[in-house]
Amino acid sequence: MDNLKQKLSAYKKHPGSLVVMLLVMFASLITFLVLFFLVIYILAKGIPHLKPSLFSFTYTSENVSLMPALINTIIMTLLSLLIAVPFGIFSAIYLIEYASKKNKFVSIIRITTETLTGIPSIIYGLFGMLFFVTKLQWGFSILAGAFTLAIMILPLIMKTTEEALKSVPDSFREGSFGLGAGKLRTVFRIVLPSAIPGILAGIILAVGRIVGETAALIYTAGTVTKIPKGVMESGRTLAVHMYNLSSEGLYMDQAYATAVVLLVLVLGINTLSGFIAKKLTKERS
Amino acid sequence: MKRKTYLIISLLIALVFLSGCGQSEKFDSSNDITIVSREEGSGTRGAFVELLNVVQKKKNKDIDMITLEAQITNSTAVTMTTVAEDEYAIGYISLGSMNSQVKALEVDGVPISEANIVSGDYKISRPFNIVTKEGTENPAREDFIRFVLSEQGQKVVGEAGYIPLKDTVPYKPQTVKGKVVVGGSSSVAPVMEKMIEAYQRVNKGAQVELQATDSTTGATAVTEGGYDIGMLSREVKDSEKKQGLVPQVMAIDGIAIIVNQLNDIDGLSSDAIREVYLGNDLTWDEVMK
Amino acid sequence: MKEKIMKGVFLFAACASILAVGLICYFLLVNGIPGMAKIGVGKFLGGKIWRPNNDEFGILPMIVGSLYVTAGAIIFGVPIGILTSVFMAKYCPKTIYRPLKTAIELLSGIPSVVYGFFGLVVLVPFVRNVGRSLGLGGNGSSIFTASLLLGMMILPTIIGVTESAIRAVPAAYYEGALALGATHEGAVFKVVLPAAKSGVVAGVVLGIGRAIGETMAVIMVAGNQARLPNGIFRGIRTLTANIVLEMGYATDLHREALIATGVVLFVFILAINVSVSLLNRRGQNG
Repeated sequence: MDNLKQKLSAYKKHPGSLVVMLLVMFASLITFLVLFFLVIYILAKGIPHLKPSLFSFTYTSENVSLMPALINTIIMTLLSLLIAVPFGIFSAIYLIEYASKKNKFVSIIRITTETLTGIPSIIYGLFGMLFFVTKLQWGFSILAGAFTLAIMILPLIMKTTEEALKSVPDSFREGSFGLGAGKLRTVFRIVLPSAIPGILAGIILAVGRIVGETAALIYTAGTVTKIPKGVMESGRTLAVHMYNLSSEGLYMDQAYATAVVLLVLVLGINTLSGFIAKKLTKERS
Repeated sequence: MKRKTYLIISLLIALVFLSGCGQSEKFDSSNDITIVSREEGSGTRGAFVELLNVVQKKKNKDIDMITLEAQITNSTAVTMTTVAEDEYAIGYISLGSMNSQVKALEVDGVPISEANIVSGDYKISRPFNIVTKEGTENPAREDFIRFVLSEQGQKVVGEAGYIPLKDTVPYKPQTVKGKVVVGGSSSVAPVMEKMIEAYQRVNKGAQVELQATDSTTGATAVTEGGYDIGMLSREVKDSEKKQGLVPQVMAIDGIAIIVNQLNDIDGLSSDAIREVYLGNDLTWDEVMK
Repeated sequence: MKEKIMKGVFLFAACASILAVGLICYFLLVNGIPGMAKIGVGKFLGGKIWRPNNDEFGILPMIVGSLYVTAGAIIFGVPIGILTSVFMAKYCPKTIYRPLKTAIELLSGIPSVVYGFFGLVVLVPFVRNVGRSLGLGGNGSSIFTASLLLGMMILPTIIGVTESAIRAVPAAYYEGALALGATHEGAVFKVVLPAAKSGVVAGVVLGIGRAIGETMAVIMVAGNQARLPNGIFRGIRTLTANIVLEMGYATDLHREALIATGVVLFVFILAINVSVSLLNRRGQNG
């Protein structure tokens, strides 16, 4: 209570601070109200239509099952990460640990990564269709979709990994060198493990983008509603499933139910990765 | 104290939202019409413009003249939601997507119905086409197309709310093996989906896969070999026919002119609809005069 | 030896982004430039009328539209985003931090189609009623609505990056300012936030990128009229909307014109990135 009084008297002396504080509170309130509205809206529209038949393993126009799409989403996410994460982490390692800061080549890489960040997903979709689907003749396939998405999330993973690597204190590296470890050993044994929570945060962001992506996938992975037998087959993710259900206005209820499942999925991924990050940091300290 | 401020602010915001949403006034015909249209190149729009003559002659070519003030969307769901929420809106959608959220107008005194479309009294309709590539062989594809055009296949068309073809023959299952990829227009996809399910019930040998994209992707993918059958909700263009595409009508779809349930008007003449979409009549008063 | 090989591997990985941009540039240009040349660059970029069936391909309205909507999103999204991230980093009680953070992460995982329908069903009627009762007309699908929705959509991006930038500022800055007699607010806004400037700018730029590039949600609430804007309560079409709306059905020159629209969008984003990195460089030197 005293604390509060103290604060209040401080604000009395500095009315400007009070205004700023109120602004901050107001802005956050807006953010969380918007969020609240959005989530309530989705839940209210979707939950009444969540039926067990939505989760059967084969899709028909009768049950409008989202199970194949759910499985496809997981496959698509894993595959895209499998392609993008090594590339992203390795290039971040190169930029931070190997390249000299004033290198021309480095600045080119930076400009291209920033360009990739800014490219709208519809352009990725067009490119994926022109290159992977048509030029390489992969057809509409999980593989074409995963590669397109991998390019899309590459800059995100690079950027967050770079930041994570930067935040590892130089004393760690110097210590490792001092103990006679080589550069490679230092990077893999000392620097990278300390940077894992940061990298993981980047991967979560990437997963969020993959799960929510529609425009880039319609033209690359196609919209087949079956569980694919291989990576060369077409399949739709949950977001694409939702887009397709909603576009003709015939299955709006199921579309909202799909949105609920998507929300739960994103929430699940976030919790899981938060848990992993905590565990990892604890083990190290 | 802090909690109180929170409470007051959230109440205020809720109030603003409620006052914004809660105003459902009576239909006031002096208001501007909200014109909703599909995008250029859409099969639905093409048929709508052609049949209602929303065009201007230029060098022997009819030019689509839908007013630039019209709100454009590429989705039937958005058209319907807009019309269902806005008392002053008008739009057009495929008959198969029609539901009770919105009101379908009579055109020139004729209500939209299967019988009226078949008899030709209701004039705004268009074909759903399937295309294949000339000179390619695929027994499973031929068998599936036979089913689509058969009595059983056309029954599916009718049940989905579209107009079936006349004079069809029954389908006899044949033993075929192979995979058929059908893809294209998202307007055709819902009925095609039911079609494939019906087909797979009588013939389990062939695998039929559906890709809902759009008419043009459907046509290009057939030319390039990605799909075996393309679905087009518009006429096939000459440039596409030159690339070896063979069209085949699989169903007829009526186009419903829709307005809000609160709208007093139940029907319009085709001239009146035309004036609205040309941007000449701006309010419902002007339409009704 | 192993060191050398691995260095090569890292270098190779680093080249991936260059390769990707190269490929994207190549495929867009090869497919887009011929169309632009056929139409005429001046007619294409400066033309005010877009009627593909009439062979009129002017995308000036869409360029202006993208600018308007993005500017609107910045006005709504950036101040709220930055203030919220300040709240998260410097005000938020520990007990509710985790749920709030999760909520924001959740916000970034919601597909844009969902935002679009939310906008269509909640924001559009709201703006329509406000517009009509103020006598400004319009039907709710407008520049204003699109800006509002985009402002919402870029919040998680801005908050995420800005918050971590604020957290990266050494605690000594904040404590030092307090010791010199500054209030909590003074310390945060005059010392910590300026120190986190480059991170904040990065977050805002990412947000702007998302706003320009957003498609699926914008086409549901912007009205998509392909003409120059005539009021913030009236509709407008953006560059991305132009591509998505018509790509599906377009053929021949129309299709090329749409890919050319993509090229323009691409150049747009390139220009933003280059100018930001120039600004950053000047900031670092000065």
